[in-house]
Amino acid sequence: MIVLGLEGTAWNLSASLVSDDEVLCEANSAYIPTSGGIHPREAAQHFASNIIGVIREVLSSTDPRSIEGVAFSQGPGLGPCLRIVGTAARAIALRLSVPLVGVNHCVAHIEIERWKTDLSDPIVLYVSGANSQVLSYRQKRYRILGETLDIGIGNCLDKFARSAGLSHPGGPKVERLAQEAQRYLSMPYVVKGMDFSFSGIVTAAQEAMKSAPLEDVCYSFQETAFSMLVEVCERALSQTDKSDLLLAGGVGANKRLQKMLTVMCAERGARFFAPKSEYLQDNGAMIAYTGLLMLSHGLHTPISASGANPNFRPDEVEVLWIKGS
Amino acid sequence: MDQGIVKVVTGAEAAVYVQARSVIKKRVPKKYRAAELDIKLRKERTKNEAKIQSEARRAGVPTPIIQEINGFDITMERIEGPSVRSVINETIAEQIGEIFCTLHSAGIAHGDPTTYNMIVSHKQIYLIDFGLASYDRSLEARGVDVHVFFQSLEASHENYRALKKAFLAGYTKKCRDAEQVLKKVEEIKGRGRYL
Repeated sequence: MIVLGLEGTAWNLSASLVSDDEVLCEANSAYIPTSGGIHPREAAQHFASNIIGVIREVLSSTDPRSIEGVAFSQGPGLGPCLRIVGTAARAIALRLSVPLVGVNHCVAHIEIERWKTDLSDPIVLYVSGANSQVLSYRQKRYRILGETLDIGIGNCLDKFARSAGLSHPGGPKVERLAQEAQRYLSMPYVVKGMDFSFSGIVTAAQEAMKSAPLEDVCYSFQETAFSMLVEVCERALSQTDKSDLLLAGGVGANKRLQKMLTVMCAERGARFFAPKSEYLQDNGAMIAYTGLLMLSHGLHTPISASGANPNFRPDEVEVLWIKGS
Repeated sequence: MDQGIVKVVTGAEAAVYVQARSVIKKRVPKKYRAAELDIKLRKERTKNEAKIQSEARRAGVPTPIIQEINGFDITMERIEGPSVRSVINETIAEQIGEIFCTLHSAGIAHGDPTTYNMIVSHKQIYLIDFGLASYDRSLEARGVDVHVFFQSLEASHENYRALKKAFLAGYTKKCRDAEQVLKKVEEIKGRGRYL
């Protein structure tokens, strides 16, 4: 089966074709804000201007008649962006007379990595701009074991980076500056069971910037926030007795976070997997592949139920393609 | 060592060893985090756990008696019985609700109220693992406690709706402002997501 996938939840507009065995092609058009962070309307305008281009690019290598389904990111994400890809997906599905399938963006991150790493049943740390969750599969669903009580780690990093005068995306710049640090400054560390909170740390970092070198603030910020994430992952591994940890989402590209997770897993005899950066960041292939899984298990989305779902939770998706409990 | 010390679990913050009549909780260093942060957290949590667990007990919440604190190690009474996770039913959930009302009325938030951190022994529910506890009377802290507990029900139990309802029935018995706490739980649930 060949499925066309359209991803567009926040910053990256991406189209891809996948078959049962491989990613056939992918075309991307990233929205890069001229100043400040992601502006939902501007992002949607970027998507609207470029969606025909990315779709045309992936279709140029394939006979459209070979496509057996159209998948799109239905949520979670920014409403205006989701509506653009939803509209495009509906139009193509109708034109080709093939089934349409709305995909949960978070589940798609997990599925492409399970596909590429052969992990059967990992604990997943999903960290992106707006999302920060620890997930685990049980009885036909990815259960949310823990998540942020306020803002996502990526937004938290961006917010701090912006106030430090670093341009979007701030994460990689904070990571680089942190490597030059001399000392650790104490910052609010908030873990409640497997939930965590990042809002206090932004305020603390903004305050610390007034008197401490930016390098030290970046370092302390990362060390504190990432330690919170690693601690809840370890708690999840311990409580579920699972022994594999998978990292997903754009913030997962951070080398320091990867290192900390590697050390934690090594200490307790668990396995850690961080995929290639092209799959960590938002991509069309993950939507196409998850759509393929859903379609091959008889799931599709009627037009009437294909509206944008900005608050789409991963545990709303019934996972029929994993055997066992 | 002649009594036989058995390591039972390596958790996210401590290794737990069980003896005949006591349990030793050792907060071992975690190499993944900065040394300064590591020491700070272990110190804070050891102190917190010993202090707040004793205080909760004085307030009428069943918890193991703290026997000894030695550096980052706490020795406490061993409570024998299954974890709530494996035996929970509506009667137990209601009992947990009552206990959390007592705890919150004493100005204590548990910080990690999952069903793993509760033991059923002699028909009583014991709360353990006070490492993340705090003195906090605010609606926010109480709401987070209830939210974390509900999440642990949703993650592991199919009949979580009935269990939540039973918990609330127990909580409401003496805590008249339960409705406000519940409102807070809804607010917390809605945060950290796209709008």
